[in-house]
Amino acid sequence: MLISWVLVSLLLFSLGIYGVLTRRSAVGLLISVELMLNAAALNLVVFNRFLFASRMDGQILTIFVIALAAAEVLIGMAILVMLFRRKKSVDVTQLSQLKH
Amino acid sequence: MIFYLLTFVILVLALATVLTRHIFRSAIYLMGVLALSAGYYLLLGAEFLAGVQILVYVGGIVVLIVFAVMLTQSQDLIHDHPSRLRKMLGFLTSATFFGVSAWALLNSHLNKNIEMPSDAQFSAQIMGKAFLSTEGNGYILPFELISILLLTVLISGIVLAKKEKV
Amino acid sequence: MHMILNSPWIIPALPLLSFIIVGLFIRPLSPKIAAVVATLSVGCSFLLSLTLAWLFFTGPNPSQLSIPWSFEWLRFQPGLNIQMGFLLDPISAMMLVVVTSVSFLVHLYSMGYMHDDPGYGRFFTYLNLFTFSMLGLVISPNIFQMYVFWELVGVSSFLLIGFYYEKPSAVAASKKAFIVTRFADLGFLVGILLLGFLGYQVQQKLGSSDSLIAGLQSLDFQFLTHPTVLSELSNTGFLAIALVLIYIGAAGKSAMFPLHIWLPDAMEGPTPVSALIHAATMVVAGVYLVARMFPAFSTAPSALEVVSWIGLFTSAFAAIIACTQDDIKRVLAFSTLSQLGYMMFSLGVANLEHPLGYTASMFHLFTHAFFKALLFLGAGAVIHAVHTNDVWDMGGLRKKMPITHATFLIAVLAIAGVWPLAGFFSKDEILTAALEGGHYVHFIGGLAVAGLTAFYMARIYFLTFWGKGRTKATDHAHEAPFVMLLPLLILSVLSISAGWIPFAQYIHPLVQSAQEHSGHHGLNWTVVLSGSSMAAIGLLMSWFLYAQNDFNRVNNWISNFQGLYQVIKKKFYFDEIYLFITHKIIFRLIAGPIAWFDRHAVDGSVNLTGDAVQKSSSIITLIQTGQLQTYGVWFVLGTAVTLIFFWMTLL
Repeated sequence: MLISWVLVSLLLFSLGIYGVLTRRSAVGLLISVELMLNAAALNLVVFNRFLFASRMDGQILTIFVIALAAAEVLIGMAILVMLFRRKKSVDVTQLSQLKH
Repeated sequence: MIFYLLTFVILVLALATVLTRHIFRSAIYLMGVLALSAGYYLLLGAEFLAGVQILVYVGGIVVLIVFAVMLTQSQDLIHDHPSRLRKMLGFLTSATFFGVSAWALLNSHLNKNIEMPSDAQFSAQIMGKAFLSTEGNGYILPFELISILLLTVLISGIVLAKKEKV
Repeated sequence: MHMILNSPWIIPALPLLSFIIVGLFIRPLSPKIAAVVATLSVGCSFLLSLTLAWLFFTGPNPSQLSIPWSFEWLRFQPGLNIQMGFLLDPISAMMLVVVTSVSFLVHLYSMGYMHDDPGYGRFFTYLNLFTFSMLGLVISPNIFQMYVFWELVGVSSFLLIGFYYEKPSAVAASKKAFIVTRFADLGFLVGILLLGFLGYQVQQKLGSSDSLIAGLQSLDFQFLTHPTVLSELSNTGFLAIALVLIYIGAAGKSAMFPLHIWLPDAMEGPTPVSALIHAATMVVAGVYLVARMFPAFSTAPSALEVVSWIGLFTSAFAAIIACTQDDIKRVLAFSTLSQLGYMMFSLGVANLEHPLGYTASMFHLFTHAFFKALLFLGAGAVIHAVHTNDVWDMGGLRKKMPITHATFLIAVLAIAGVWPLAGFFSKDEILTAALEGGHYVHFIGGLAVAGLTAFYMARIYFLTFWGKGRTKATDHAHEAPFVMLLPLLILSVLSISAGWIPFAQYIHPLVQSAQEHSGHHGLNWTVVLSGSSMAAIGLLMSWFLYAQNDFNRVNNWISNFQGLYQVIKKKFYFDEIYLFITHKIIFRLIAGPIAWFDRHAVDGSVNLTGDAVQKSSSIITLIQTGQLQTYGVWFVLGTAVTLIFFWMTLL
């Protein structure tokens, strides 16, 4: 049923949120973000299949999402590598220079 | 039936992804989640998408993540220990989010007995035509833009991560 | 010639213009030229005033009130418009002449007296301001304009008393003067408001029947002295109260008891200031006000009683104190108080049926201006020569300063009331008014004060000019420069001749209905004899005590009455009483708590809001930890809340 699929993707998304808020390592953060993106893409395809079975817009959008996820991971890694070179660690709890 | 099995495994793997202390294992579990998501896509009848998922996500992104893990390994972050407060807050927040959204969903019009329609006009041919069509429902513009985006990201990734001149 | 009758506003406008131009432009460049310009402008005003008075008194209506020039200034309601204008009637014409003449002579004198003072230019600017204010007061056609100029005169007095602003005693004196007169002006203002309110009601009632009244405003003097209006006002029962309140203002300005405390301290100002303001012009503003409102006062006999008794008491009180003071200017100040008391009680013993007191009061104002100014300017010349105010440090100046001595002697004889000088005539008219009006206490009191006046004035005279010089400074004393002597000479001529002007022919209270005045009174020989004998007694006693070679007789007298002498010398401790009341009671009990409230409650609440904002903002900044995941938590929670809101709207 539609609702069970949507709930599954919602659950995956929430797990991704938990990961984002909890991880100390920046790479772990990015992994959790990937999880969230994957859940969103799943949602798109689900709605496409259940409600608009004659069109393929959902899947096309999913292709875009996947492409964007790849781009984002790339840039994220590049920044993390730079950060690691500077501070010798990627612990996000150390990055609090904007503290009041 | 397959759906429930697949769901169970994916959820276990996802939990493992966010809860494990080793980053490397987290990446592998992610790979598992992504691969089994491709299984989801197959269940939904989107074969091309399943292929794309495996190729790009698993074969590209996870590899990239593994590279990043290796490149940024440091002694003090072998084991990722978030503080108890942080775990508590994270759990509360995500649980709140999930709770609210699920409640809204369950009380919405989507909570009816909607079954998967059996005839779905999915094929790679239609998708290809949609990507390159210039009519109202065509996706040629986002297609071109995203290729430019990928080019930009590629170049900027190289520029950002190259070694600084000594 | 007749232009001045059409545009008499030039008379006060000249000093005003001079004040602005001299003060802003000429003074910073050249103080000497500033002084000349200032003096010339007042001189021109003087000539114009003389012309105006001459034309008025020899004209067709020498006893009618007219308003040759006015413009509308404030418009509250139809019936309550305030106008600025020029009122021309016998006493205003007389006052114009007095004010401008004395002011001109003081300007001339100051060119010599203030010669090496660093504030030379500033002095003349202030003098011009004062002259303008006083002229504006004198010509006011309604009580509101008079109040405005009343305050202006107070300001000018403040500026001039505190002229030597580096001296703390001068600053304190100017503050005292201003505060006391301002306090009195509170009563004045309440009186004005009360009169205006009552007058407005009366005008609404009467305006339909009488077209003259309908054309007036409720604060106009013409309105307030109209007989029909006054009878209506007294029917309301509040006329006496309003008049007493107005009298409080007059009492403050004319330094009646108990508001007299500022006048002796006002002697901290330069001597020309004392001559102009605190002898001849400003202090008579109160008397002038009562004279203006004389028909109104006459309709409320209780108010008139208050006026006369306070006047008599002040007169006696000041005369007693004057006998013991050692500072020559203080003696003259108390003498002014005493003479002002004469003028006030003279107004008080008169009413519209027996208006002699009114005429006598104005006459005494006229002559007093001249001889008091002469006394002050002469004292100034002496002070200029020996650099001290204390009479016991002077002596033997008769030979060193002959012209000053002669003019001073003339003034002393004038104030003592010796025939044929001016004071004799005016003082005798006052005593005659008291006697013929049946006010015997006032008559006896006036006689006693006349004797005391002669005594203390002669005391000053003998101690200053006779005997041997008592300090080194008196040996080096020399006569004053000509520019200071000329005013003294002119004033002495006036002091001699002013008494011969047939005042009663010109100055008498105006009554709307044409009432023929009975003309010049003959001399009342009782008064003449008793008055002259009191003067003679006073002069002889003074000669007996003070014109000798040593002061043993004086010292014996003083040691016999040591206690009483000390009390009188301390001015009956009134200054101490006032200081006590203000410091211990008003400051501590009233001003103190109010200041505490202001500093802690009012400021405190403002500071509290500031502090509260600051504290709450520092609490809120704890959210900004700088860590990404904290922000993430807030973000997701916010999203959840937004979702709930959206969902609520869809329900």
